[in-house]
Amino acid sequence: MSTDCNWPNIIVHADLDAFYASAEILDNPKLAELPLVVGPRSNRGVVLTANYIARRYGVHSAMPMAEALQRCPDLIAVPPRFERYQELSRLMMGVFHNYSPNVEAISLDEAFLDCTGATALLGDPGTIGKSIRKEVAEHTGGLSVSVGISSTKFVAKVASGYCKPDGLTIVSPEEAVEWLDPMPVSTLWGAGPKTTRRFEQIGLYTIGDVRRADSEWLSRMLGNQAINFQRLSNAQDIREVSSGRLSRSMGSDRTLNRDVSSKHELAEHLRRSAERLGSRLRRKSLLAGGVRVRLKTSRFELLTRQLALPQPTDVTDILWQTAVGLLNRFEEGKTYRLVGLAVFDMQPSDAPIQKDLFNDNGGDNGKLDRVIDAVEEKYGTGSLIRASRLGDKSAVIDQSVTLDSTDETLSDEN
Amino acid sequence: MKFSIEREDFLKPLQTVIGAVERKQTMPVLGNLLLEADESSLTITASDSEIELTSSVEVSIDQKGAITVPARKLVDICRSLPEQSRIDVELSGEQLKVKSGRTRFSLSTMAANLFPRTDPLEQAQSIEIEQLVLSQAVRATAFSMAQQDVRFYLNGLLMEISEERLCCVATDGHRLAYSECATAAIPDEPIRAIVPRKTVLELSRLLNPEGGAAKVALSKNFLQITMGDSILTSKLIDGTFPDYNRVIPIDGNKELLLDRELLRGTLQRAAILSSEKYRGVRLAIDDKVLTVSSNNPEREEAVDELEIDYSGDSAEIGFNVNYLLDVLNAIDTDNARLLLKDSNSSALVMPETADTTKYVIMPMRL
Repeated sequence: MSTDCNWPNIIVHADLDAFYASAEILDNPKLAELPLVVGPRSNRGVVLTANYIARRYGVHSAMPMAEALQRCPDLIAVPPRFERYQELSRLMMGVFHNYSPNVEAISLDEAFLDCTGATALLGDPGTIGKSIRKEVAEHTGGLSVSVGISSTKFVAKVASGYCKPDGLTIVSPEEAVEWLDPMPVSTLWGAGPKTTRRFEQIGLYTIGDVRRADSEWLSRMLGNQAINFQRLSNAQDIREVSSGRLSRSMGSDRTLNRDVSSKHELAEHLRRSAERLGSRLRRKSLLAGGVRVRLKTSRFELLTRQLALPQPTDVTDILWQTAVGLLNRFEEGKTYRLVGLAVFDMQPSDAPIQKDLFNDNGGDNGKLDRVIDAVEEKYGTGSLIRASRLGDKSAVIDQSVTLDSTDETLSDEN
Repeated sequence: MKFSIEREDFLKPLQTVIGAVERKQTMPVLGNLLLEADESSLTITASDSEIELTSSVEVSIDQKGAITVPARKLVDICRSLPEQSRIDVELSGEQLKVKSGRTRFSLSTMAANLFPRTDPLEQAQSIEIEQLVLSQAVRATAFSMAQQDVRFYLNGLLMEISEERLCCVATDGHRLAYSECATAAIPDEPIRAIVPRKTVLELSRLLNPEGGAAKVALSKNFLQITMGDSILTSKLIDGTFPDYNRVIPIDGNKELLLDRELLRGTLQRAAILSSEKYRGVRLAIDDKVLTVSSNNPEREEAVDELEIDYSGDSAEIGFNVNYLLDVLNAIDTDNARLLLKDSNSSALVMPETADTTKYVIMPMRL
């Protein structure tokens, strides 16, 4: 076992392959040979995950289910079982913690591990990668995880995607720059479709092009993002793996089984999302500084309204009431197919709090939330509902798929 | 329209009104300035449809008329010309020609009747207040206004005018500033108006403490202040300002008299190592000593002690250091009075001599 690895850092990025779909196949191996997506069976939802067979038909996540079925009429759609995915995710994260005390979970199926200084114990990067992959498969009953290892987060992440699925890519710091050079600019972290187009307009197509570009000229062309992109192109990434990192926003979106226009119904959906977000905030000991409502019209127009809260909160009722207040800021008379609620500007609940002159926050609601949390912890989600919802006959609500998300793009705050 | 004017005479009213023009407009014509030339004066008006600024200058007019032209461009043109230049302005077809020496500009125009004017104030009552008094009251309080707060009624300044008394109050929910002063004005009925933030900032720029009395007219929804050649007209915020008397503490039992400059220095030093996001500092009072300390996520620490004349109970309270510094900057006496109760209660800060100016700061849980 080689222990003479002289990398300054050893950063591992591990990403489960087509997670939700793989999880379904794990529990029902008959599905393995079929084109499969996870998502609501109705025509109205979106694809959450497609397996690799379905991807051959051009089906991918976030695609409307109707379009996916058009592209692949034999497509099997399985409704999501988030509890099961969470369980599998926990098993995988458990494996990661055997390899490093510093594990940064990006989402259910993706994490960074900082294995710096562990070569004497774990072996060289190649050995570490192989054994992580083997252990994840063993502990989860057969899920495959793709692993990328390098000495920065950026290169490790690109590496894990490099030979997906079921791959292991190791890029030593010495070869990182040369290895990145031929990659398309869209590989750069933070380069979305817009930025990519901008790069191409100014004649930069590969990471190598960006690296070799004159810094001043690039700054003029792209503004203050330029430095960051050029740093990444040089395989430099100052971001550390941090298990305690704050996510920038947390969301809960619900694609509805039928279009909804009444404020009352939208408010009910928002209540469900507020309950989920409130409980996630409390579980993570976070307070939200702002609330954002997203509505997608039946014509796929995405509308957003947001508000900063006078005081950060984790109280479900405050989140919900703020969201309902935001509904008034949308134009009337439209019908919507998706209702989403997100919280942003999060801070740890023990961070300093500026008290307000006019606002005596919390009170009994905070207590009520903690009781609900405790009951649900013991008897399962949904075991307790608000009496105001008992009369609700719109079963729609319970069939709608909720997609929880966490956006953990870099935040400069501590 | 045709007139000839010296650069400085043109620039003064232009700079008076330009602040009303927003960088992005809801209507294209609001990016323009309205120029109106009558027999002997030029009147320039800018608006963002909430606030309208008008300023006039005496000038000999060759040909009367009214037109609108791009605001920033006209201001930039005047600024860029050499000092004391003579500027000839003439409307020719759909273009405004601006000439000075060997420099010539042609500006696009839009018709004057497209420019939205505020209607004359209805059922207004009108009083006179010295600009000096008004500017002091605004200066003492405006910094505490909220900015884009959900509680829209906090994004402005409360002005109360009752018999021989002008009262200004601003708060962003974390701190509150209150200032009252005597005026000769006696309104028919007490006035209570929330003036929008932008209007307050423009007003504080326009008020000339040596300019004598300003005429203040108020209707239900509008405010109009005339200061010499300039008129500011603004919509008011239609909302209920919170009961500020309720939050001005009266039970502070730990009173300190502090040298304003020494305290400012102490706070500024502690501020360096406070968390950039929260700006928290800890004030600990004990027998004869005030200790101001801070720390940040990088685990750096600052401690600064100030000798004080105090021998009561000890206490420790956290504050956003910026709020304390803002108040010390607004106070103009050598010493400041600080009244505290405990770590959950607001602090009251006042100038040494008067209790007509009061500052309330809510603590921070650190």
